[in-house]
Amino acid sequence: MKPPSDLGKDCARSWEVMPWALQNRVSPAEDEWLTSHLTQCESCRSEFEQQSRLRMALTLPPDIPLNPDAGLRRLLARIDAPDAQETSQRARATGWITRTLVAAVLVQALGIGVLGVKLWSQNAVPVYHTLSQANPAAPVGAIHVVPDESMRLSDWNSLLHTMHLQVVGGPNDVGAYTVVSVDTSLSPRDTLQKLRTTQGIRLAEPVAAAP
Amino acid sequence: MNDADIDSDATDRMLLQRMAVGDRTALAVLYRSYYGRLSRFLARLTRRSDVIEEVVNDCFWIAWQKAGSFHGDSRVSTWIIGIAYRCGLKALRQHGDEPVEDDVLVLDRFHAHDPDEDRELRDWLAKGLNRLTADQRLVIELVYGLGHTLDDVAIIMQCPVGTVKARLFHARVKLRNTLPALAGEPVRQKESMP
Repeated sequence: MKPPSDLGKDCARSWEVMPWALQNRVSPAEDEWLTSHLTQCESCRSEFEQQSRLRMALTLPPDIPLNPDAGLRRLLARIDAPDAQETSQRARATGWITRTLVAAVLVQALGIGVLGVKLWSQNAVPVYHTLSQANPAAPVGAIHVVPDESMRLSDWNSLLHTMHLQVVGGPNDVGAYTVVSVDTSLSPRDTLQKLRTTQGIRLAEPVAAAP
Repeated sequence: MNDADIDSDATDRMLLQRMAVGDRTALAVLYRSYYGRLSRFLARLTRRSDVIEEVVNDCFWIAWQKAGSFHGDSRVSTWIIGIAYRCGLKALRQHGDEPVEDDVLVLDRFHAHDPDEDRELRDWLAKGLNRLTADQRLVIELVYGLGHTLDDVAIIMQCPVGTVKARLFHARVKLRNTLPALAGEPVRQKESMP
């Protein structure tokens, strides 16, 4: 840091030393040198006088009306009520955590809701069937029939035609067809007996009614 | 640091140690000891007495709570004024859009008890300081008013010593060019160029 550039080297040194000389923070040798320089340099002497006046002005008490006793009383009152402030700060911190948690729960609830609506729209009809549910596709007198694997389609069709049977369901997972008789002259029991004695039919059982 | 500074700092450290264990009498002694210095320092930032008192109390509130963590890396006065500086800047940000002057009537009443000579000196200083930035005013106050070294000021303002030197230099140049004119003297244009 350089003082005004057109000052001489001694004046630059004097410029640096002045603030500290005013506070008696320079060595005796430095102080003596400054005193000597000031007697020879009118510009620095004028500057030093101004610096002295500046320091004097700055050490005047503040011109703003202040009351340290009142200030101290307020400070002590503030210290006496730290719990209220701490509670307030803790409440602010807790409030922030609570708000974050509530927001997280709301986001989760919203996500679950959206997911539920999506799954419901995709699977409006459940794929499962409970034992207590009534069989929706089993008309009265229906019979489960399992044809032999070796039975040809033409033989199966011929059997259905001869016995006046109509396939209303199947084949299911085990290869059983659900058939009903369209011949009202035959009882389901007679139809069942005939099927059981027919070659190529492995199984014929009436569809059980719901309990 | 001279002998008086060393003695004063030793007393301040002892008071801080007592404050650390909850001694309110020590707090009161330190508060009264620093009130004038801090008020004068803060008056370079704001003219509002309520803001000054608020900052002084914020400063001592922190000092009371942190007294036990003072490690003695600097003088106690440097530590306390550093806290006041930061609290002052914070208060300025909070009250930045409010008037910086107290009620004129209050000041006029106070000035009525001010000797003419002091009042003239204050006016001369106020006009000069008005030409400076807030940081330049504070550096001038810290060096000339409170007698801190450049190293102390750097700690207080949390900036490099070079920055403090620059602020002090520019403040002095501005005052050099302004104050003589305010005192009715011709301005030394020859020396006005840094």
